[in-house]
Amino acid sequence: MSECLIRGEGMSRSFHGGGFFRRGRSIQAVSDVSISLSRGEAVGLVGESGSGKSTIGRLMLGLMPLSGGRILFDGDDLAVLDEKRRGALRRRMQMVFQDPYSSLDPRRTVGSQVEDGLSIHGIVPRGERGARVAELLAQVGLEPHHAARTPHQFSGGQRQRVAIARALATNPDFLVADEPVSALDVSVQAQVMALLADLRSRLGLAMLFISHDLPVVRHLCDRVVVLYLGRVMEEGPVSEVLRAPHHPYTRALLSAAPSLHAESRRERVVLRGEPPSPANPPSGCVFRTRCPHAIEACAAQPPPLEPREAPGHRVACIRHDIG
Amino acid sequence: MRRLPWVSAGAVGLIILAAVLAPHIGLADPVGMDVAHRLAGPSPTHPLGQDEYGRDVLSRLLWGARTSLGIAFAAAAISCVIGTILGVVGGYVRGIAELLTVRSMDVVLCFPPLLLALLVVTLLGPGASTLVPVLVIVYLPSFTRVAYAGVLSVRGHEYVTAMKVLGAGRLRIMTRTILPNIAGPILVQFSLAAASAVVLESGLSFLGLGVVPPAPSWGLMIGAARGTMVQAPLLLLWPCLALTVTILAMNALCDGLRDMLDPHPAARRVSWFSRFRRRAPTAPLARVEPDTVLDVRGLSVAIGDPAEGRYAVRDVSFQVKAGETLAIVGESGSGKSLMSLSAIGMAPAGVEVAAGTSGMDGADLLALAPGELRKLLGDRIAMIFQDPGSSLNPVHRVGAQIAEAIRAHRPVSAAEARERAVAMLRNVGIPDPERRARAYPHELSGGMRQRVMIAMAIANGPRLLIADEPTTALDVTIQAQVLDLLAALKRDGGLALLFITHSLPVVAEIADRVAVMYAGEILEEGPTAEIFAKPRHPYTAALLRSAPQDDGPAPEGISGTVPVPGDLPAGCVFAPRCDKRIEICDETRPSLFRIGPGRSSRCLRWASL
Amino acid sequence: MEWFAKRLGISVLLVWIVASIVFLAIHLVPGDPAELLLSQGGAAPDPAIVEDLRDQLGLNRPVLEQYLHSMANLLRGDLGNSLMDGAPIAGEIATRLPRTLELIGAAALISVLIGVSTGTLAAVAAGGPFDRVASALAGLGLSVPVFVIGTLAILGFAQTLRWVPAGGFVAFSQDPVQHLIMLAMPAGTIAVGLSSTLFRVTRSAVLEVTMRDHVRTARSKGLSFRRILTRHILRNALIPVVTVLALNLGTLLGGTVLVEYVFNWPGLSGLLVDAVNARDYPAVVGVVLVISILFVTLNFVVDMLYAVLDPRVRHG
Repeated sequence: MSECLIRGEGMSRSFHGGGFFRRGRSIQAVSDVSISLSRGEAVGLVGESGSGKSTIGRLMLGLMPLSGGRILFDGDDLAVLDEKRRGALRRRMQMVFQDPYSSLDPRRTVGSQVEDGLSIHGIVPRGERGARVAELLAQVGLEPHHAARTPHQFSGGQRQRVAIARALATNPDFLVADEPVSALDVSVQAQVMALLADLRSRLGLAMLFISHDLPVVRHLCDRVVVLYLGRVMEEGPVSEVLRAPHHPYTRALLSAAPSLHAESRRERVVLRGEPPSPANPPSGCVFRTRCPHAIEACAAQPPPLEPREAPGHRVACIRHDIG
Repeated sequence: MRRLPWVSAGAVGLIILAAVLAPHIGLADPVGMDVAHRLAGPSPTHPLGQDEYGRDVLSRLLWGARTSLGIAFAAAAISCVIGTILGVVGGYVRGIAELLTVRSMDVVLCFPPLLLALLVVTLLGPGASTLVPVLVIVYLPSFTRVAYAGVLSVRGHEYVTAMKVLGAGRLRIMTRTILPNIAGPILVQFSLAAASAVVLESGLSFLGLGVVPPAPSWGLMIGAARGTMVQAPLLLLWPCLALTVTILAMNALCDGLRDMLDPHPAARRVSWFSRFRRRAPTAPLARVEPDTVLDVRGLSVAIGDPAEGRYAVRDVSFQVKAGETLAIVGESGSGKSLMSLSAIGMAPAGVEVAAGTSGMDGADLLALAPGELRKLLGDRIAMIFQDPGSSLNPVHRVGAQIAEAIRAHRPVSAAEARERAVAMLRNVGIPDPERRARAYPHELSGGMRQRVMIAMAIANGPRLLIADEPTTALDVTIQAQVLDLLAALKRDGGLALLFITHSLPVVAEIADRVAVMYAGEILEEGPTAEIFAKPRHPYTAALLRSAPQDDGPAPEGISGTVPVPGDLPAGCVFAPRCDKRIEICDETRPSLFRIGPGRSSRCLRWASL
Repeated sequence: MEWFAKRLGISVLLVWIVASIVFLAIHLVPGDPAELLLSQGGAAPDPAIVEDLRDQLGLNRPVLEQYLHSMANLLRGDLGNSLMDGAPIAGEIATRLPRTLELIGAAALISVLIGVSTGTLAAVAAGGPFDRVASALAGLGLSVPVFVIGTLAILGFAQTLRWVPAGGFVAFSQDPVQHLIMLAMPAGTIAVGLSSTLFRVTRSAVLEVTMRDHVRTARSKGLSFRRILTRHILRNALIPVVTVLALNLGTLLGGTVLVEYVFNWPGLSGLLVDAVNARDYPAVVGVVLVISILFVTLNFVVDMLYAVLDPRVRHG
């Protein structure tokens, strides 16, 4: 991969529970996660609910402040930029959301919503915006006359296309796609995935693709990062991680996902129990309470991410013997 | 969305018009006295008579409307503007702004409105100039709260985050995105406040603490006419009538606006309770093999009146045998949930079973009397649903909810039912079941709740378990646990399982046979392994190609969208999206062909696939 | 328990805020309260008398001292003396408050009985003739202001039909039957609006709850209609009913003031209206304070009720 576009270094984020006066228990949603993307690279961020994957997406877009670490976009630290420079950077990073019913304003035409990005940043002169909106809609497989419709006249898949067109309006370099197909029917999912893959290669987008499903990221992403309770368990090239998962959690996740070909499936690892509360995580490795290979040493300290044979493949597990 | 409520809007409009025009339509002077004719009845010059000072009643009524409505609308408008600004700023900016704007309103709410008004009147003296600020203060909190609540719900929507990502400033988001989306509830609140302000103003005037005489006001007129009500009851009735009609019209407008803005108006219209009285005509049942648990034949389900022809399920037939899992797989809009609920006599409100039989143990579930059906439900037939969070009653302990299911069908004591409930919780793998039985649903995780649902479903040892997307809301590692649990129950108890899902991999995991549904019809049915290996319907094949896998080629989609009931293609329902379509597919709706032992397909070209 | 203590704390805080605001309102109003009180009929009052009154009311002392003094008095239950007759206001309120409470209690009882039962029946037979008639009546009941109902009731039942006296009060200890007869009209008047409100919210809450998933679950368990209705629908529908009841407490108290006035019921409102008319501000302050405290207390009781009904509230 070529130059690095965006790099999150040691990102952490905690949330405080409770109301205005009360400082309740603090919840560590993301702990010391580092992710970097080069231009045109797609990284899959995979985890179950409570893994902090959506929080990381929002952190990298600068939508919420970090509790620790820093984010460099084209070498600039997002936190120390002044308002004006940050506004200019806004244009270069965009997002596609999970729920296509909630991510479009029900009261405005899709054309005006796609146009928002153009007008906020003054990218295209007023008179030419209509033509640009039509162009953007065409790019995602919609017709120009769709611009005058309101969101409720579209199906879920079409809405997701509108949301993608809106994100593309500002010519971004970096796109966060937060579970963009989870709410869609399976026959529509594949089309939206294909559209994202096509746009990524055509426009050279760096894409952070958030998903709860490992197989979904396989065809779109170059690399994958597996999260559990706000920490990275394993990361590496998609093919490598799927072919030879090293971390017990990655294995469990892969084997738990039902497969079309029941006879060819891996040996099933059913995890015991449920994820612990992020307000009260276990000591040491956070996965050890459900891990079939946990030993006493796992409780001592959080295991570091260590490289394995394949280049770029790193695993946070002290049980090297089970790889 | 429904239409504007024209009748009430027209009535309110007329009243406002009368108030506006009062000075210009040649009415008598509302304060001009004529003591000689005090309490005089109706006459050509005074159509509604004269009051205790001989003043013209009609003129005072219309001028009174002017006073009342003027004060009420002015107060409602001012508090609407200020309250909305406070609520939007407090809700969107949060932090200290929220404390200053929204929380401070809680203090105003400590005073009952009339008391607050009386306190201010004591300090400032009566009169219209006091009334407007008093009413503004009284209604300010309600607008602030409505706007605040609206912002809190709107800001949770991702389209607000999307605007932030696009780089829109706070002002732009508040005015262009949030305000239009909370305008509906604020409009409703405005008409509520205006109506309520008319009542409060007239109440204060009635006590002699509002509008100062001799200015006309309905409240004053009622108060004054009390003294002469025996001699001149009409004098009392006119302002009462005017006041009541005005409030009635404003309230009706308010209700109409609320209905108009209600996103789910149709659902409110159908009575769910009629379900307890309904039963279908009896039809002869087909003979079945002895181990068949459920035998559904020719089931058609209509949305609304069957005569309207909106069929969500058409001519569906299938059998489930003991110890077997039949999966009904389909995308959203395929009618799979509706079909399975209808098949056991639990069709939701607004849906009618138009044809078909559903045989179980020689009885037709669709023709059973409600009391008879009830004996089967929860005993021999049990269900689990997609969302375990909403499927359990939040106000009862989970143990009690399971015990209730047991006691509905078994003559056991409360204590014994409770013990059995704990045993069931232990059976479904809930750790520490004694303690968990005393928990409320919200104290359990999603996976635990689904286990509770399963415990409740199998508490009476049913022969048929219908599981409607039971793992869709769960994480994949928890889904694996629940699927294992269901498989074990089936294996151990000879349970027949009807498993409804949208996920083909889950079908592969759990089902012996599968029926593929699309647009209300079963398009293909047969043993799971055979169908997945060799689909004989283009839709099944396309669906299989759409599923993401951890090996194999990239998934392909299906272009186009599912047709809606009432607007189906003339021929095969899948034809418009089918890549194997030939001309005849658009003309004839195919029937289900038997294409082999236990296999059927609804494709005309099944043989050539 | 933690939740209970927190709610109690908030209620006490609110009472303190109310008392402070009432105190401040008197002192923040432009012009001198003493002068304001004496300046009836537009004539400027005698400066000497104003000065006397200022002394008597303690208005010449520093504001902070006055504030602390009045708060201390409040804690001891001393609300000051009336300007009209010099009698202690607390004593007057103590005789009148039970009558007001009795009226509110009777009205609330009637309203809950009528509103909740008819609301449930209307929801069960939604769209039927009973539902339509009851809904129309409730719409009307909500639209007639309480003092109009009261006045028309006097005109109809007392003056024309002569079934009941036009108003007044007889102590229960003197003549229990007459006491209840005299209570019937004012309580019934308040109940018209409140029972209409409760009818509506019960009806819509029952209809809404029937569409929830857990009612479907209850059906799938094979429970009887009666058990589903009581344990799974009404039990859950009561939560919004209590919420609406809480929201209407203010209107209820305001309505009580008007109704007491209309029917000459010697509760707090007679005292209040007279005091407002005479600008007897210590009396007004006293009554407003007591009713506001009553209001906060009722809200606290409703919160407790809410927690009993909904286990999710107790856990924050």
